[in-house]
Amino acid sequence: MARDLTLGQYYPVESFVHKLDPRIKFIIMTVYIVGVFLVKHIYGFAVVAAFAILSTLISRVPILSVLKSLKGIIFIVIFTAVLNVFFHTEGKVYFTIGKLLITEGGVFFALKMALRLILLVLGTTLLTYTTTPMALTDGLERLMTPLTWIKIPVHDIAIIMSISLRFIPILMEEVQKIMKAQRARGAEFDRGGLVKRAKALLPILIPLFISAFRRADELALALDARCYNATPNRTRYKKLKMHYRDFIAFLAGAAYIVLIVAVNNKFWIPTLTYSFPFI
Amino acid sequence: MSIKVKNLSYVYSPKTPYEHKALEGITFTIEEGETVGIIGSTGSGKSTLVQHFNALIKLQEGELMVNGFDLAAKKINYKALRRDIGMLFQYPEYQLFEDTVAKDVAFGPKNFGFKKEEIDFLVKEALTLVGLDYDEVKDKSPFELSGGEKRRVAIAGVIASRPKVLVLDEPTAGLDPVGKREILELIHNLKNTYVKTVIMISHNMDEIAEFTDRVIVLNERYLIHSTTPEKLFSDQNSLNGTGLRYPHVVRIQNLLKEKGVDIELEKMTVDSLIDEIENKILK
Repeated sequence: MARDLTLGQYYPVESFVHKLDPRIKFIIMTVYIVGVFLVKHIYGFAVVAAFAILSTLISRVPILSVLKSLKGIIFIVIFTAVLNVFFHTEGKVYFTIGKLLITEGGVFFALKMALRLILLVLGTTLLTYTTTPMALTDGLERLMTPLTWIKIPVHDIAIIMSISLRFIPILMEEVQKIMKAQRARGAEFDRGGLVKRAKALLPILIPLFISAFRRADELALALDARCYNATPNRTRYKKLKMHYRDFIAFLAGAAYIVLIVAVNNKFWIPTLTYSFPFI
Repeated sequence: MSIKVKNLSYVYSPKTPYEHKALEGITFTIEEGETVGIIGSTGSGKSTLVQHFNALIKLQEGELMVNGFDLAAKKINYKALRRDIGMLFQYPEYQLFEDTVAKDVAFGPKNFGFKKEEIDFLVKEALTLVGLDYDEVKDKSPFELSGGEKRRVAIAGVIASRPKVLVLDEPTAGLDPVGKREILELIHNLKNTYVKTVIMISHNMDEIAEFTDRVIVLNERYLIHSTTPEKLFSDQNSLNGTGLRYPHVVRIQNLLKEKGVDIELEKMTVDSLIDEIENKILK
């Protein structure tokens, strides 16, 4: 059942964050990501982490389920960290393995990269946890409206996005169904070597592709039958509206970026200079 | 050899906001040789229940013995279990994937470790049993066939492994009336010759009334009846609150009774109903 799928899924509780306008959430997310890449010092990372944790707390999504999203990227984090340890040589040398040096600068740089990746995923996960796919595409479409002036088919892009998002759970469910049917006929998907496992995927993939094409055909017909695109300017049933809380959230986002720039430039904490030279 | 279910409960996505109780405190026994229908409205837990039988769904709570396999045990011989319990899913034609019909039917037996010569024999036998011409269809792509033929191939793919129990999840869904009839008769024949026990989920009460010895009724995750179709459908209150309707023959019988024509049905089939009405009129 697709119900068991938790990665990046909408988490239905009521909270300040859930109720925010998706456009504001997108803007704050962008600001957040810019912040993640802007920070230079450990105190900066503390600001970013605090922002992420605070948002999670306000959103009432259990921190554990947000942390679960890290499972998928743990390999990438370790991989980039290890690479960066070796590629950055600066400062005191800790170890030498052949020609490879592990230096103070390298270790700090690797740590920073790992932290950046983790914070990045945590923030974006919170966005998908607190915003329904429909709200996401609506917000994105509204934010991209200016692009229609340069003839970019924003509405079509939004429709494509919402259809693909809508079909992820459906296809996941389909995969589960097909897997069960083939298992009932004695198929095994978690046994044997790499080649055997790859071969075992065929009985899932072929029916899945066929059904995806069938669904696409049916959907195209359904869109046609309801005169999709017959009128150039569609009106909306649910209009996005900014509220007071969106303004508050906007201020929080602004405060966040200001704080990061301030910390980066050591505006008011002169003691920062002594602590870690490379962070 | 039978299926014994005791106090079985199942919860989807436990401890998340999507938590959903699918089955609660289910207890019943199916003896070898029975044809059992499982009915209930959408979401009553029918599919979840039958998928326990071949361990596609892991037992969470309760006891379950299937053909001598204890499904509460830590180690289960899944292959042996799934060979014994053949399962046909809803719209089984969507699981076909090989480039020829014969290869697709051979998928099950091959996985269950039958020998090459045995497989050839089993495939031929299964395809013939479901009413297809082996020589004509064996090299065809399953995707060239008609809907009804595809479903037959899918059924052949299940019975080719010689299961002892056949579990069918809405085997007639989406077929035209003639196709439905043919599939049901096919299942009936298989029951008499090939498999020992048949368990069938259906939304069609006429099918249930005509083809099963016993009916299990699920309503919102609870088992509310386990009795013969005659007893179940002759009780006017048995299906209250389930959203299920009585078979057409029973409804006609009840309408006639309201008008003062009292008939007894020998069997719950249209033929039996017509006979009884003729008897009444001609008398």
